[in-house]
Amino acid sequence: MIRFSRTATAWLLLTPMMTIIIGVVGYPLIKTVYYSFTAAHLAAPGTTDSWIGLKNYIKALGNSQFLDSISNTSYFVCVSVSAEIILGVLVALLLNQKFHGRTLLRALLILPLALPTVVNAMMWRLIYAPDFGALNALLTQIGLIESYRSWLGDPDLALSMVAIADVWKNFPLVALITLAALQSISKDLIEAATLDGASAWQRFWNVVFPAILAPVSVALVLRTIEAFKVFDIVYVMTRGGPADSTKTVSFHVYQEAFAYMRIGSGASYALIVVLISSFLIATYMWLLKKQGNTA
Amino acid sequence: MTGLSLKNICKSFGDLEVIRNVNLSIDPGELVVFVGPSGCGKSTLLRMIAGLEDITSGEFWIGDKRADHLPASERDIAMVFQSYALYPHMTLAENIGFPLKLAKLPAGKIRQKVKTIADTLHLDELLDRKPGNISGGQRQRVAIGRALARDPKVILLDEPLSNLDAALRLEMRAELARLHKQLASTMIYVTHDQVEAMTLADRIVIFDKGEIAQIGSPLDLYNRPANTFVAEFIGSPKMNLFPASLHQTDRNKAKIRLKNTTYDLDTDGLTGDILDTAITKNRGETIKLGIRPEHLHFSSEGGLRGEIRNIEHLGSDTYIHIETEAKADVVVRSNGISALRNGETVGLIPGPGMGHIFDQQGIRVT
Ligand SMILES: Nc1ncnc2c1ncn2[C@@H]1O[C@H](COP(=O)(O)OP(=O)(O)OP(=O)(O)O)[C@@H](O)[C@H]1O
Ligand SMILES: [Mg+2]
Repeated sequence: MIRFSRTATAWLLLTPMMTIIIGVVGYPLIKTVYYSFTAAHLAAPGTTDSWIGLKNYIKALGNSQFLDSISNTSYFVCVSVSAEIILGVLVALLLNQKFHGRTLLRALLILPLALPTVVNAMMWRLIYAPDFGALNALLTQIGLIESYRSWLGDPDLALSMVAIADVWKNFPLVALITLAALQSISKDLIEAATLDGASAWQRFWNVVFPAILAPVSVALVLRTIEAFKVFDIVYVMTRGGPADSTKTVSFHVYQEAFAYMRIGSGASYALIVVLISSFLIATYMWLLKKQGNTA
Repeated sequence: MTGLSLKNICKSFGDLEVIRNVNLSIDPGELVVFVGPSGCGKSTLLRMIAGLEDITSGEFWIGDKRADHLPASERDIAMVFQSYALYPHMTLAENIGFPLKLAKLPAGKIRQKVKTIADTLHLDELLDRKPGNISGGQRQRVAIGRALARDPKVILLDEPLSNLDAALRLEMRAELARLHKQLASTMIYVTHDQVEAMTLADRIVIFDKGEIAQIGSPLDLYNRPANTFVAEFIGSPKMNLFPASLHQTDRNKAKIRLKNTTYDLDTDGLTGDILDTAITKNRGETIKLGIRPEHLHFSSEGGLRGEIRNIEHLGSDTYIHIETEAKADVVVRSNGISALRNGETVGLIPGPGMGHIFDQQGIRVT
């Protein structure tokens, strides 16, 4: 039998994986980078080679629609992620109390997470439906609004409504992560704080909060990165409308590359998005590391 | 410094009765130790005193103030947890100063107080560290320091030394004794280590299945155990209990005959204080004669005969296990290293005045 050194064995075992990764991720990535410097067009195959330098990027950064989509996405990320974190932590705190039916509620919490985004989006589209939607019915019946409204048809409202649908689906992730952290807090610590004279709020702030800070930060990172890439829920609910008010960066990239078939400039948009994402990830990694050092 | 008093305290968890009818009053400045086997309700009682657990029925007083319904934070009672329960994200200084911070003391005062406590507990070098980076003994000291910070009326300690190794335990025990003398604060100390109980306590409360089996000074419990439970619990190795019967011989005299033997013992020689009522009451009855291993002596002739089955050498002492007709395993503790061998036949004679007589229910007969 042939004997390999440890390093050689490691490389040997990694090779199939690496091949696949290079084939599936590396090659398209390089191709995308290449396209972003060309005027490639899906409907005009010959254009792939026409090297145009940084023109795509310059155009992208000056494109007001793209800049709007960045601000839309930022709004979506801020609103949905902060709501998910706040709601998730509150629900986790609630589910960490002892009461009848707690186990059932904990199980139900998984439900939205288990739903495919597309199904969730469809469901909320129905809830928001202007003529027969549940939301209109509910709000008119309790008297909050007088007449039915088109929630997704109003450019000022649509993005917030999509964010709500996203929050409903994703806050359970935050809640589950927080709940796990809460359950790992020793009961003794809470009792010690009680005896030290801490009120309920002081106990939360001095004992519970520091213990869930790190896991909640992880949830925050995960959710921010996910939310920044948001595409499917927008695609199903509004297709970026009305009046581009829900157009996010991913949706913009999709439109540019596949609806208008401008692969070259689409690629440059995509790479700008990747750059922003990487920056976000790096920021959070740095934050996490800093936190790890002080904990 | 405040006393505590517990009147008819009971505690149930659902149908499970954990504490039954506890009556106890603790003097200001006293160090009382709760001992008892695992699950007998020591921690539960301590937690009720602290206010972490409701009292099912009965009255609890702190000094002359009724306190059953006082929230934990208003009782001015501090507790040292077995797990130490140090706040992991705070430095040791912050841990010790936390109760003071909550009490809204100015930062300068807190620093000063923390410094004083750290000095007493030899923690000054470590104040900037976090609990994760110190040893078990140091954590223990921080937990005590935090309990001392507010100068509480009462300090409760729930098995504070049980997570330490033997050497450290000895050291911390001495330190606790010193602290108690220095602070003169009222303390309740829970343990199931009887050596800790005997060495630290002003008074020991022994629990058996949620009830107080006996309250008394360490030597009281050793010299005059109220029942067989206490008799066996205090002392190591535990007291030998011989099944026996009591026979009246004279108006004021009785003999004890060990079961399955013809070996008779004089009651007055044995205990010195058998009253005739007790003799009359238990005459002819099966009783239990208790003799501690350190109070049995060997004799070459006479006494209770038996064969040596096992010898345990501890260096300073030797535990000798003897099989007799009256009791299958009698333990004798003799000083130093014994020259006896397995299989030898020996006679056992109790030291004068060293017997304890318990009736059929296991209650001490006096
Ligand atoms: N929250 C609770 N719910 C139900 N039963 C409990 C609860 N807390 C304690 N018990 C029961 O009460 C009894 C006494 O428990 P406790 O913890 O006071 O014992 P302990 O004397 O401190 O024992 P140990 O020496 O092992 O610490 C046990 O049988 C335990 O199972
Ligand atoms: Mg206990």
